[in-house]
Amino acid sequence: MNAKRLIFIIACVLALPLHGQQNLESAYRTTGPAVTAVFEPQRAVLQTSSAVILGGRKEMSYGIVISADGHILTKASELEGLDKISVTVDRTNYKDVRILATDPQWDVALIKIDATDLLPVVYAATSEVPHGTWVVANGATSRTTRRALAGIVSAKVREIPAAGGAALGVVLNVKGKLLEIEEIADGSGAQQAGLEKGDVILTIEGTEIKKIEDIAEVLKDRKAGSTVKVTYRRGKREFTAEVRLTSKGELFNDTMNRNDMMSGDYSKRRSGFPRVMQHDILGSSRVTGGPLLDLEGRCIGMNIARANRAESFAIPVEDLKALAERLMKQVAGPPPETE
Amino acid sequence: MWLACRFLYDMKRRLIFLFLALMPCAFVAEGRPYVNDKKAPEDRKDIEVIQSALQSALPQARAATVCIELKEGSGSGVIVSADGLVLTAAHVSIGVNKKVIVILEDGTRHDARTLGLVAGSDAAMLRITDEGEFPFVEIDRENSARLGDWVFSLGHSGGFDKERGSVVRLGRLVRIANNTLQSDCILIGGDSGGPLFDLTGKLVGIHSRVGQQLQVNMHVPMSEFLGNWDGMMNGEFIGEGPFAEKPVKGSGFLGLATDARKEGGLRVTKVGNKSPAQQAGVKEGDVLLTLNGTPLETRAQMQELLKEMAAGDEVTFELERKGKRETLTFELGER
Repeated sequence: MNAKRLIFIIACVLALPLHGQQNLESAYRTTGPAVTAVFEPQRAVLQTSSAVILGGRKEMSYGIVISADGHILTKASELEGLDKISVTVDRTNYKDVRILATDPQWDVALIKIDATDLLPVVYAATSEVPHGTWVVANGATSRTTRRALAGIVSAKVREIPAAGGAALGVVLNVKGKLLEIEEIADGSGAQQAGLEKGDVILTIEGTEIKKIEDIAEVLKDRKAGSTVKVTYRRGKREFTAEVRLTSKGELFNDTMNRNDMMSGDYSKRRSGFPRVMQHDILGSSRVTGGPLLDLEGRCIGMNIARANRAESFAIPVEDLKALAERLMKQVAGPPPETE
Repeated sequence: MWLACRFLYDMKRRLIFLFLALMPCAFVAEGRPYVNDKKAPEDRKDIEVIQSALQSALPQARAATVCIELKEGSGSGVIVSADGLVLTAAHVSIGVNKKVIVILEDGTRHDARTLGLVAGSDAAMLRITDEGEFPFVEIDRENSARLGDWVFSLGHSGGFDKERGSVVRLGRLVRIANNTLQSDCILIGGDSGGPLFDLTGKLVGIHSRVGQQLQVNMHVPMSEFLGNWDGMMNGEFIGEGPFAEKPVKGSGFLGLATDARKEGGLRVTKVGNKSPAQQAGVKEGDVLLTLNGTPLETRAQMQELLKEMAAGDEVTFELERKGKRETLTFELGER
């Protein structure tokens, strides 16, 4: 973390004389209904081709309809711990939801509902549009009607490295020349790969591990979401596991800085993305997972994180298409052998 | 009358011609996009006019937007003249005549020095001290921004990030009070001091502060800068808080003990541990010859000079060390 303090805007409105002030009625503000009404053609696309992910009766996140028979992409980490998942597309609520596959690196899940004749999104040709280009995304929703919010592409397409770097998700205890696992972080790759308290780490990616610095050296250029081969000893036996790296910030809940405090809610997983485009649509962390549309109503990206009050990230359409194809293939399994 | 206006106008702007014909001439001269005078955009053409105006103003606006790096952290600012005059917020510059670093969009770093500020309204100026021709933007001198106008903000949100660049946000002017503009361009820490533009790319405000709600984003209007221009150019600290605290005379601290030398100058007999003097490299045995150009003769005289200064003020000592002359410049610490 940058140790330097940022110059912070004084986070309270100071009492300044406001005589002679003029106010714009809320309906005419950027998020007001009188302004968003002009984005009706794009809203109509959100109505049919975005999905609302519900936990019980509460809207938790959104999704993108990618096939007529009910394949939907959504933000994977927002599904964690959800009870009674259901999905609404247009006006229909689907109770039978299956999670088919997830991509931890992009934090995207492929889910399936039993539907027919849905209208999948049409992908835009490119995410390389000039800054200042209008984009439209899901705002809040009612049970039957999607709402649209508009904003602009606001910064360069780039990688968002994992906050705090990539980690196995273990706390180690140095016992003589051995590194023994003392604690395993919940949701970490180490936990998912079956490592346990008391296991001794022997090698990572073939490099012998004798001290904590050795781990830092092996992991320093690796990214959250990628996997490393770990050998470890439990009792007298040695094992090998593929461990997915997770961002330290995500695992150990990095302390909130002042920008986080003034941001309201933000996505729990908001770093460690190979490539994102950035926009300025105002919204809560609950509006992630849905499509980012251009003025033609084509899907130019997928809203993947609300990083803070001023910055929202989307997976660019090129990466999204490739990811969707990969997940669909993974689910279909290898093609049947022909004789 | 409207024909005269028409000739002033570039034929490329045919798109907005019909509407202009209905407008008083004053608007035509300003190049004000017609969408600003609609309560809300009504169709695809209206939102495309906003987009194309923003996109043509953006390259210059972004080139002139800078990150300001201080010891205490970082904020934003905007260059308003080719020789490097920068407008920013008083709570970013904090004081007058302080050294800061200005970082351009491409990552180039320049030395700069703060000029004056208006403590009550959060306006401040600084100047890039490196020679050069810098990209700059025009100031809206006519106070032409109206309630509901479409505006865009730039700033180095969260600090300088070359891979990302400064962040642009679009919104409307939602409140105008006599010394504050409010927009729904969402700001965050690091944006402080950054620019708010109208759709023609003219500077209308400087980012000042936010409320808890996303819609509450406050900017200092250009009238506050224009009304205090000369004072700020002269390096004056105008008014009292809340955005900057006036330095208190006599609050500065060097952290050394001296004895006067017969032949003039003060010999350093002790340097305080971790004191500003020690951190700047002053050593026991050094002979201080001048302070900010004034020859030093007695301890009392140096104390008199320091009494007129405040914590954070810069001091330059000319000194003699082992027969060699040296110059050290550093800031006084807080007593």
